[in-house]
Amino acid sequence: MTGHQRKQAVKAVQLALILLATFIMLIPILWIFMAAFKNHIDVFQLKLFFTPTLANFAEVFRSPYDLGDKLINSSIVAFVTVLFAIPIATMAAYSFSRFRLKGETAMLVVILATQFVPAVVIILPFFVMFRDIGLLDTRLGLILVNLAIVMPFAIWMIKGFIDGIPLDTEEAAMVDGSSRLQVIRNIVLPMAAPGLLTAGIFCFIIAWNEFLFALILTNRDAVTLPIGLALFRAEEGDLWNLLSAAGIIIMVPMFVLALLIRKYFVQGMTMGAVR
Amino acid sequence: MRDNTLKYLLILPAVLVVGATALWPLYESLRLSFTVGRLNRPGSLEQYLFWENYTWAFLYEPAFWNSVQVTAIYTVLTVGLTTLLALGLALLLAPGGRLRSGVQTLLILPFAMSPALIGVSFRFMFNPEFGLFDAFFGVMIPPLADVSWLADPILAFAVCVMADVWGWIPFLTLVLIGGLAGIPQETIEAAQVDGAGGWRVFRDVTLPQLAPVLAVVIILKSIFSLKTFDQIFMLTNGGPGTATQTLSHYIYVNGMKYGQIGYASSVAWLMVIPMIFLTYAYAKHVFRRGQ
Repeated sequence: MTGHQRKQAVKAVQLALILLATFIMLIPILWIFMAAFKNHIDVFQLKLFFTPTLANFAEVFRSPYDLGDKLINSSIVAFVTVLFAIPIATMAAYSFSRFRLKGETAMLVVILATQFVPAVVIILPFFVMFRDIGLLDTRLGLILVNLAIVMPFAIWMIKGFIDGIPLDTEEAAMVDGSSRLQVIRNIVLPMAAPGLLTAGIFCFIIAWNEFLFALILTNRDAVTLPIGLALFRAEEGDLWNLLSAAGIIIMVPMFVLALLIRKYFVQGMTMGAVR
Repeated sequence: MRDNTLKYLLILPAVLVVGATALWPLYESLRLSFTVGRLNRPGSLEQYLFWENYTWAFLYEPAFWNSVQVTAIYTVLTVGLTTLLALGLALLLAPGGRLRSGVQTLLILPFAMSPALIGVSFRFMFNPEFGLFDAFFGVMIPPLADVSWLADPILAFAVCVMADVWGWIPFLTLVLIGGLAGIPQETIEAAQVDGAGGWRVFRDVTLPQLAPVLAVVIILKSIFSLKTFDQIFMLTNGGPGTATQTLSHYIYVNGMKYGQIGYASSVAWLMVIPMIFLTYAYAKHVFRRGQ
């Protein structure tokens, strides 16, 4: 084989591997998409061609599944969690980024570490406390515990964005007589806005997909979408067409959000260890 | 307001939130781990034992050791497989171009999927009657044609590992592509000029420079593998029997199903210990990066 032929062969193999990997990556997702539009008889066959139906999407919103309630719960919980987390995290991130604080490194490490604590450790005491004060099966309870997983990400991510904003404009404004709070409001916040939005979307996805907290803390009123999936495990077996329709309702909004912030996904997940 | 006051006021709300939502429950679960701690016996949450819960786990609970073993094997396999496959895929996709960038964009999708849903979708794929992967493996490897994957202890475990690897490869690939992009192209070209072949360049030039990012990837993935719960719960619920019962699942069952919150907390704290080491290792990387 000549060098040229060899290069061509290597290229072809690479291309084949990329396509194979893409196929494996997409097939479970595509399979859910197809099943969601199949009637329940077609699901039980490995059919590629079938008459699509929207009936599954209608049925999951009807009793006894009432996925609409879960959709509202998930939306409220994720949205309010972000609404609390981002302003609080932004204030802290600014301070960590711009000032020298006593015990700064220790605080940042502790914040990082709380992210790595298994959720199952955190949730047992919360279950006992919420049972005593009546917060079990409430959205408020879920929002409070969701802050535990979202805050560390938010602080680290926003700190990364603020670190990237040059100091000069801030200093110039201070020289011109602006107070620190004015500088934060008029200069830092507008410049950091895209970063705050990114962090907000990132935290929304995490809160939306959260599973263990909701599994333990909710049973009827505050059930979220991921827990709602369990509704479709009936005695006669899993109702795959309905499960798939519910799956689409859970994942498609997150696909859209994730694509919006894809450039920052890695940085966010690794808390700045990789940029 | 003076900056000196302001800087502490700004972090105060965050400190309070992290303290109340993460540090308090950590302390409280440590306290509970030394109590009788039965959910249905009100006074038992203040009824202190000494190390009984811990010794109970170590001495009298084969199920605890089973979950330690499951978690350990699961972690080693998922970390190893995910890292290797992600490294391969990252090398394939790193050169860029339209096709490769498009695939990189698609990589974000599995990672935006809730782990619970990944569990559901793999249960679907391995359904004995109409699962696509079940059918595929049945054709490729005839002895597997008639097995019911999720009813067999070893195969169910294999499906759990596959689901985990499937869900994490995309993210780790994106991280490694980022790491590869940070390697100066000149170092690779210089080695090629010196006559080094593809494998030599990878081993002697690319890999050493990628090492810090690889370390981050391995530590991060280990942490997430050790914690695994959502997927297992939806995919096998720890079964058949306890063949796929990870530590998180074992803690969940003991705490919430059996109401032994004290005992569950002690096992939970045993799980925190390896996390402390991993977090320490991770923090070192984050701060070295920051300097």
